[in-house]
Amino acid sequence: MAWQRQILRVNLSTGSCAIEPLNMEWAEAYLGSRGLGSKYLYEEMDPAADALSAENKVIFATGPLTGTMASTGGRYTVVTKGALTGAIACSNSGGKFGGELKMAGYDMLIIEGESEKPVYLHIEDDKVEICDASEIWGKTIWETEDFLANKYQDPLMRFAGIGQAGETLCRYACVVNDKHRAAGRSGVGAVMGAKKIKTIAVRGTKGVSNSNPKEFFRIVSEVNARMTDRDEMSRDGTLGMIDVTNGFGSLPTRNNRSVRFEGANKLNPEAMHTPNDSGHTNIVTNGACFGCTIGCGRICKIDPNHFSVKDRPEYHGASGGLEYETAYALGSACGIDDIDAATFAGFICNEYGMDPISLGGTIAAAMELFDIGAIDEKVTGGIKLEFGSAEALCQIAELTGKGEGFGADIAMGSKRLCEKYGHPDLSMTVKGQEFAAYDGRSMQGMGLAYATSNRGACHLRADPYGHDFETTEIEGKAEIVRDSQHAVAYLDSSGLCLFPGGCGWGLDDYRSLVDAACDSDWSSEERMNETGERIWVLEKLFNLKAGLGKKDDTLPKRILEEPADVGTGKGLVCRLGEMLPEYYQLCGWDAEGVPTEETLQRLKLS
Amino acid sequence: MDISVTLFGGLRHFLPAGSSFNKCTIGIDNEASLEDLLQKIPIPETKPYIVILNDEKVSLENYADIKVQQNDEVVLLPPIKGG
Ligand code: SF4
Repeated sequence: MAWQRQILRVNLSTGSCAIEPLNMEWAEAYLGSRGLGSKYLYEEMDPAADALSAENKVIFATGPLTGTMASTGGRYTVVTKGALTGAIACSNSGGKFGGELKMAGYDMLIIEGESEKPVYLHIEDDKVEICDASEIWGKTIWETEDFLANKYQDPLMRFAGIGQAGETLCRYACVVNDKHRAAGRSGVGAVMGAKKIKTIAVRGTKGVSNSNPKEFFRIVSEVNARMTDRDEMSRDGTLGMIDVTNGFGSLPTRNNRSVRFEGANKLNPEAMHTPNDSGHTNIVTNGACFGCTIGCGRICKIDPNHFSVKDRPEYHGASGGLEYETAYALGSACGIDDIDAATFAGFICNEYGMDPISLGGTIAAAMELFDIGAIDEKVTGGIKLEFGSAEALCQIAELTGKGEGFGADIAMGSKRLCEKYGHPDLSMTVKGQEFAAYDGRSMQGMGLAYATSNRGACHLRADPYGHDFETTEIEGKAEIVRDSQHAVAYLDSSGLCLFPGGCGWGLDDYRSLVDAACDSDWSSEERMNETGERIWVLEKLFNLKAGLGKKDDTLPKRILEEPADVGTGKGLVCRLGEMLPEYYQLCGWDAEGVPTEETLQRLKLS
Repeated sequence: MDISVTLFGGLRHFLPAGSSFNKCTIGIDNEASLEDLLQKIPIPETKPYIVILNDEKVSLENYADIKVQQNDEVVLLPPIKGG
């Protein structure tokens, strides 16, 4: 069965909570999670509406495999119009919240309207109530979770919510569940904050059923056995990538002034696993999301003697540590090689609810503004915002989380910040969203993937990695980016994680699991490809209606005009201008990037 | 001559005994090629990797032609994905 076949709709303006049947016709066409959530959003709201208005909706969407025994089947997506980008946002998260929501009996939770007063949502299977949040508004995510866990006294209750960053409408506020797993990107937490909904507490006891459990179990076991290459991810997490990109020359450094960071060896897995001079080791253990047999999560401790946490014992415990993206954003992007400072800034992101990629990217832009004299200590409130300053990073992270001082400027995101201080070209963003940890000059395919990503710069909308590490020539990249955008849209809609793809699984393994979970026939490659493409094009249509277009499928001037300084891509700029027309054509879109009528008909979108 | 080779990520599994966290020293003849050097590191054929020689990526087809020099720095990277 896989789907629970019902959704929960909560209207914060009227205070109503209603259980509705899932639109199964849409589920058959969009699968679940990212795809199905996007379909509901597209049909139910005007994409041109302001992201922070009552017209926007926030959808927590699980996939058919969420909450099942399939490995990594704990994922869910928060779909909304992004506060950072004004584009469709679909931020994926793991942890245990998604599985719990599904087991409470819902494929999806749709939150609409806006509340006058702060509220939270309490769900225990069919019992749903909108509760007064005055006791937790203004508290961090960690305090909120502890408070509600204590109140309800149910160790299996799960929480997904916002911290002060969401409340103060930080443009890249995120939704954090299970204290350190996040639907991180595009400002989905700011939309929650605008609606004045603090958190969702959920407990489910219904389980997730399957029409043929014996066969499902057989396929899950068979596919699990093919996950033969997970040791590296368990031991190093995604952080192992930092040595690859640094060696290759695609690790964005100092706001993309360089593509190689001389301090990368102080942030890499070796640094994380090796005791420092005072005998402190950063990593404690690895962690896993619901049902995951990889466990790529980093559970880390900050050296209690480090300046950031000295005399602050509340930060001496273990929590979510540096992944590759955070090590870049809170490390190389700012020229910082202090693993404890970056870990601390990461903790602050989880505690206050901010996307660390956008926080780090914005601080990096501010550091460049400071470096060229566009802002000074009068603007920053006395903070010497120099590249490499771990002290400045830690101070600014906390100020931004609270929305105080210069932190209120950093909370705007790098695009708005750089515009405000007169240097829009220094913002390393696409559609207002900060770059992930790859430079589009030495990785040309990633450059195209950033530019065309429906949710703004993102490393997880396409899979050009293999080809990019193979060659900097652009031939073939448009096709790889297009095909993988469709594949990833399908995978994100299943309720599974993308990372098994790097641990031995192929697309056919994902497909077998989807087919085994769902009643109808999902075994064909054609159906997978068509579903992925339909989701991708639907997201595109949302963005077009929101006012985005070809002008937004671009990259910052630095990536298009300033050659990479070192490494494999030395001397290269991103050849986006050559790749983009080919990409549009391969997609069946016109020269302006608008899907043609023929394409829409083929995908049953017209 | 002795050449220092750094292996990142899962490639660390294939370091010779007695190596440090991710580095080893491989002794080769003076006229040896990059291919000769790589053959001395027991990485199975099923594990693809990228070779960076003195900061620049080397294409597979050039391994046999490149002569390794004293003080060269060789780095082997696994082609992994990040998140
Ligand atoms: S691989 Fe990592 S992110 Fe994916 S489900 Fe497992 S622990 Fe979570």
